[in-house]
Amino acid sequence: MNTEARLQRAKEILAPFAKETLTPEANRVDVVIDAADLTKATAAMKSANWGYLSAITGMDLGPDAGQLEALYHFCDAAAVTSLRVRLPREGQPEIDSVADQVPVASFYERELSEMLGVIVVGTPDPTHLFLPDDWPEGVFPNRRDFKIEDAAPVERDIPKVPDQGRMGNKFIVPIGPQHPALKEPGHFEFAVDGEIITGARMRLGYVHRGIEKATEQRNWIQNLYLLERICGICSHTHTSAYAQGAEKLAQVEVPMRALAIRELVAGLERIHSHLLWLGVAAHEAGFDTLFMYSWRDRETVMSLLEELTGNRVNYSISILGGVKQDVGLEQSKSVRKAMDYLEERIRYYLDVVTSDAMFLQRTRGIGTMSRDEAILYGALGPTARASGLERDVRVDAPYGAYSKYPVSLITDERGDLEAKFVVRLKELLVSCFTIRTIVDNLPAGELAVRFPRKVPAGETVSRVEAPRGEAFYFIKSEGGESPTRLKIRTPSLCNWTSVLNKAVGHQLADVPMMIAGMDPCFSCNDRMVTVRRKDDSQTMTWAQLRAYGIEKYKSR
Amino acid sequence: METVLAITSIMFFPAGISLILGGMLYEWADRKLVARFQNRIGPRWFQPLADTIKLISKEEIQPLGVNRALFFGLPVVALAGALTAALYVPIFGLQPAHSFPGDLIVTLYLLSLLTMCTGLAGWNSDSRFSIVGATRTLTQLFAYEAPFLLALLGPAMAADSWQISKIVAYTETHWMIVLQPVGFVIALIGLMGKLELPPFDAPEAETEIVAGALTEYSGRGLALFHIGKSVEMVVGVTLVTAFYLGGLGNPLIFLAKTLGLLLVMAFLQSVLVRLRIDQTVGMWWRAGAILALLQILALIVLK
Repeated sequence: MNTEARLQRAKEILAPFAKETLTPEANRVDVVIDAADLTKATAAMKSANWGYLSAITGMDLGPDAGQLEALYHFCDAAAVTSLRVRLPREGQPEIDSVADQVPVASFYERELSEMLGVIVVGTPDPTHLFLPDDWPEGVFPNRRDFKIEDAAPVERDIPKVPDQGRMGNKFIVPIGPQHPALKEPGHFEFAVDGEIITGARMRLGYVHRGIEKATEQRNWIQNLYLLERICGICSHTHTSAYAQGAEKLAQVEVPMRALAIRELVAGLERIHSHLLWLGVAAHEAGFDTLFMYSWRDRETVMSLLEELTGNRVNYSISILGGVKQDVGLEQSKSVRKAMDYLEERIRYYLDVVTSDAMFLQRTRGIGTMSRDEAILYGALGPTARASGLERDVRVDAPYGAYSKYPVSLITDERGDLEAKFVVRLKELLVSCFTIRTIVDNLPAGELAVRFPRKVPAGETVSRVEAPRGEAFYFIKSEGGESPTRLKIRTPSLCNWTSVLNKAVGHQLADVPMMIAGMDPCFSCNDRMVTVRRKDDSQTMTWAQLRAYGIEKYKSR
Repeated sequence: METVLAITSIMFFPAGISLILGGMLYEWADRKLVARFQNRIGPRWFQPLADTIKLISKEEIQPLGVNRALFFGLPVVALAGALTAALYVPIFGLQPAHSFPGDLIVTLYLLSLLTMCTGLAGWNSDSRFSIVGATRTLTQLFAYEAPFLLALLGPAMAADSWQISKIVAYTETHWMIVLQPVGFVIALIGLMGKLELPPFDAPEAETEIVAGALTEYSGRGLALFHIGKSVEMVVGVTLVTAFYLGGLGNPLIFLAKTLGLLLVMAFLQSVLVRLRIDQTVGMWWRAGAILALLQILALIVLK
């Protein structure tokens, strides 16, 4: 089925509920429905097997319009259908929960209610996901009239980890926010009976930085550098997704050479990310030798990225309208050399993880997720592909240069931890191949075209395949120098549901590996808000922080 | 005069200070070898000593909810046990400081004292990581203890004595590794289990339970446990070498043979993946114990 047919099918499914059907951009339909019809419309989409719920975007149209909008984006290959629900801004905007049909929506709904003040009726867990527990009632950061002064913390009974005391054989093992297994802050509570997990909960938001809100106060160019800093591992994913969306809105045609270089860097980023993951996952299993070896080899790709872009982590290769640096003859040579070395090493690791008997004891048959479960939990990226679910934006909806330099889809039917190792390592071999093809056939042409200061009004969805799965961007412009609303949904958020559900019944010793198996990235989950405490000398405004930084570097 | 000698042997030589320093040296060798196997640089030679000095100079925090006497007493008992065990083995290739018929059993139980103290220390704590760690430590103790003991009984039966000095006199002329290869493998792997080295480091798996039973220990208490462990490493390596690798003639041979054994252990540590606690127990009882028993049976039948 092609994209047109899919969109036509979606229109037919939603026809009974549609108030208005719009086609805001290619490959997307926008169906306005009543809040009361939402659950029915979702059920219709689900029973027709039309794609998956990818994100919920909450938008405030401002006090003048007096309306809030919640957009439920469904993705099916390249086709995107947005259900647009309009809600009154004043009083009690209410919407029904769809979490009973789509479990992963629980996270999106918690975000929607805490950020925009929409009451989601019937959502399984109405507590804060990202915002701190002492956040004041009735203050919603995504509202247009939000002021940071309103966000002074309030005294409240904060739900604590259940008492330290022993309860027979059963107790709760807290993992995080500070724990040796987690290099990033997240909090998990695993109820264990002896060594067996009987329950799992989690809490995010420890590194929430308010990036979505911050984009609304910066111009289009500044945002590129801000968004790059969402994640230290997939920084290029975020700049690509943002640049791609902004370019679509501004109707800027990016030269092929620039797109090819973007894909080249994305491939290198994937290698760096998966090798890092391989090391971390091996460390969780207590296989430190593999950890040290894979991180040593990862240095090759880090140095290569540094040679190509000048940076090891935030590459800053993309600019709006193209790329910043060219890949010359000299650099092509280093790329080929590095690929030769890495390919050999990756084949070796593939051999190790599929043949080392002791390692297989820890990975084979552990945390097995079937294809149906992967669909139900809304898994994305390698986590989904290891369960045989063919979901890869690069293949389903080729963007940028991916139609010119295609990648092959890697899946594995088994769904256990071993499959996750195999899928990721095979993807690396594909990446090596694609990188070589790009370097050998780099099209001639400009590196960048001019990007306007103001972007015409419009809304767009931009999807990019990050190393961990689909990254979803929704960008809305009202013709100004900065976006009106920028919504980011990163792949890790979708994969949590599967891990938390699968952990129950497993041994405590398997949990770190299962968490590592989805390659979680907390930084990209947590983005939105700064905490401001009363009389807190640690809190600074942006201007103060800037002045402090300048002062500090002057006095060195 | 005898009293002075006894005090000297416990405080300075062969046990006491010299053994503690020796333990640090072996700990360093182990860490350095593993590091080189893992393509790292590894610590400098004085790192274990520096770690110990740092720990001893730091504040010792007594957590809430622990029994004070146990909390401070256990590290001392653990170290004392390991040091006392050293008196009965031919440490540094010298004659044991003390010897009596049946001292093999006493030595083995003195060596287990450290593990028991670690388990008790975890149980004494209110931290959930410590409790899970203590459970794992003690579960594992029951897994490797019997096969390890059986593996050391092999040479004892061959030498017709349960006195370490007599067994060593016998093994100096008989290489037990050739005569009882199964026993050697079980003894070596059992020693790795006793020392909680990978793949038997589930009791202190940092990615799950932080530092296991010793999570709440700091400062001096932690230092004592660490020293105890390095002393146990020397004693254990000495025992296995003396029993299976043709005895220990003099300090030079001792150094060569024990470091050779350490090299093998470091290699195994680097290439093996941590076992889950159920896998550890399963492996010992399904394979280790049965093999050790079969060897003993064979010895009885052949004699």
